[in-house]
Amino acid sequence: MQFTISTLFQQIINGLSLGSVYALIAVGYSLVYSILLFSNFAHGGFLVVGGYACYYLLTQWGYGVVISMTGALLASGITAVLTEFSAYKPIRERTPITLYLLIASMGVNIIIENLFVVTVGGRVKALPQNTFPTGVFNLAGGVTMSASDIISLVTAVVFLGLLQLFLSKTRWGLAIRAAACDIRTAGLMGINVAFLISLVFFVAGILAAVGGIFLSVRYSLYPQLGSITTKAFIAAVIGGLGSLPGAVVGSLILGLAEMLTAGFISSQMRDLVVYSLLVIMLLIRPAGFFGKKINDKI
Amino acid sequence: MKKVFAVLFLVMFSVSCAWASEPIKVGQIAAVTGDFAAYGVAEVESVKIAVEEINAASGVLGRPLEIIMYDCRTRQEDVVNAARRLVDQDKVSAVIGPNGSGLCIAAAPIFNRGKVPQIGTLPTNPLVTVEESGKVRPYSFRICFLDPYQGAIMAQFAAINLRAKKAALLYDVSSDYSQGQREFFIKSFEETGGKIINDEGFRGEDVDFRSQLTNMKDSDAEVLIFPFMGKSLPLAVKQARELGIEIPIVGGDGYGDFMWEICGETLRNTYWVTHVDRYDPALKTFFDKYQEKTGTECQEFVNAVLAYDCVYWLKDAIERAGSVEPEKIREALEQTKGLKLMHCTLTMDEFHNPEGKEGVVLRCDPEERKSLFFTKIKPE
Repeated sequence: MQFTISTLFQQIINGLSLGSVYALIAVGYSLVYSILLFSNFAHGGFLVVGGYACYYLLTQWGYGVVISMTGALLASGITAVLTEFSAYKPIRERTPITLYLLIASMGVNIIIENLFVVTVGGRVKALPQNTFPTGVFNLAGGVTMSASDIISLVTAVVFLGLLQLFLSKTRWGLAIRAAACDIRTAGLMGINVAFLISLVFFVAGILAAVGGIFLSVRYSLYPQLGSITTKAFIAAVIGGLGSLPGAVVGSLILGLAEMLTAGFISSQMRDLVVYSLLVIMLLIRPAGFFGKKINDKI
Repeated sequence: MKKVFAVLFLVMFSVSCAWASEPIKVGQIAAVTGDFAAYGVAEVESVKIAVEEINAASGVLGRPLEIIMYDCRTRQEDVVNAARRLVDQDKVSAVIGPNGSGLCIAAAPIFNRGKVPQIGTLPTNPLVTVEESGKVRPYSFRICFLDPYQGAIMAQFAAINLRAKKAALLYDVSSDYSQGQREFFIKSFEETGGKIINDEGFRGEDVDFRSQLTNMKDSDAEVLIFPFMGKSLPLAVKQARELGIEIPIVGGDGYGDFMWEICGETLRNTYWVTHVDRYDPALKTFFDKYQEKTGTECQEFVNAVLAYDCVYWLKDAIERAGSVEPEKIREALEQTKGLKLMHCTLTMDEFHNPEGKEGVVLRCDPEERKSLFFTKIKPE
């Protein structure tokens, strides 16, 4: 295997760009986890809803990019809130065991995936070519970066920045942080916990939709698209479930690890390395890089 | 008494009428959902068209055909279940599909044990009709040519038509189809004096191939070989071009017009070995009919045409057998010789594969946004 600096740079760019998409998804996972202490596997489903909403708003109804994307964010956000109301809330009211929520979320994920299989079919779709800028930028030494790489990096940074602002500067952000510390005490202090949880799901849904749109731009759109969230989940665990900076760092590490393994060791070893990384992380630092408390990770 | 006889006669007559027109049950397994969904949907529609035509023209042996279709979701577990249902519960006379090699290989033991002939529409791996020991699977057939054949066509095309000496290869490690083509491409390409300078794999559900492609970019390969199918194919083409790789790409029959939606003009300078020429005048009536029935243009035309011809092949076999018994149909399928179908003249060889079929090479034209006939190749 020849080794050149430009190859290394190209692989690092590839890794960061993959990692930025993971980050958008992983943050959504972590957000819900930080409040409710369960991994919401329906997140992949919300992402698919966002992708398809954007696709149909663009192609069937002919709206522009901005309206279509806004519509997609709303669609995913609302789907997430409805899921919370119809599936999670009744369970939460009956039992404190979060394992049931986890199982319900897996069910919701399969339901959403199959709803799309049945209604729109399994065929792979692509957002119209002219929706987002395409093109390739040549950096020094033959290293290239595609427009979609840049857009997804920038969008990830913008949305994660907005989320950070929301959490640190607004009253509801403060409430969410309080609930993340201790949801019961937060409730006792007069925070409307039911509304807060809906809000968290709405925000997580929006992030999922952004991830969904970017995944469909880069990789095309199909009902099983949500399965990529397994990797984002691993990233969230590596970074420390429940920690938002952790989710971002974990995602970038995972993206880089995947690309560098595939590039310099062997492409078949990619998943082997990624999942080994997860196991090693859980052995050495069960709480991940930024996780504060050690809970049952379910 | 007379009345009773008359009634009895009427009853018997109507019963025998019912028998005479009782449909011939034919199974179909198609990947209507999952990774190969686009291919599977096209097969279901084209089989419907063929069956409608045959039933409108007095059926087979005076009986209509009835298709019992199961979706295998592009998963080997589901194929096995579908095959079991068709053999044990539905007791069909023969089965058409599925399309992929891995799917057919998974189902083969069930059909061979249950003694029901099965025709694969597009499984190109040798092991579909032959066991690993080299013994022919008596009840497994196919209408398409094989990976060795396809791999050899790709190698010959790359070496002679594109004058390439060095090739880089990306393949799906989890697919029999891809492994088979890769193996035979390497063998044939090296026989022509060519060299494989890059041989990279990925796993079936991967959607990002840029790290592998980056390695290829930095090699001095003259052609990229993409022997795989499904959504990976357009994604790999697009990502290769985005990384600035401009050398020709040669692939197998995984090509479908759906790739334009994802790739757009990045499909420039790509060549695809396939079974059918999309613009062959002999196929025009069929494509028009497909468009009329389904309201969509037939994008996955190879699957559609081959599945359609499978129905007519089966009709011919049932007629020659003079029976709907699976065993007799099997014999008739095996003895097929010089049968004129829509896309080819079909003769079975001793391994249940078509003999001497020509491969078509298509070239993508970004201006017309379609793949046009480039050349025909018959490997030596």
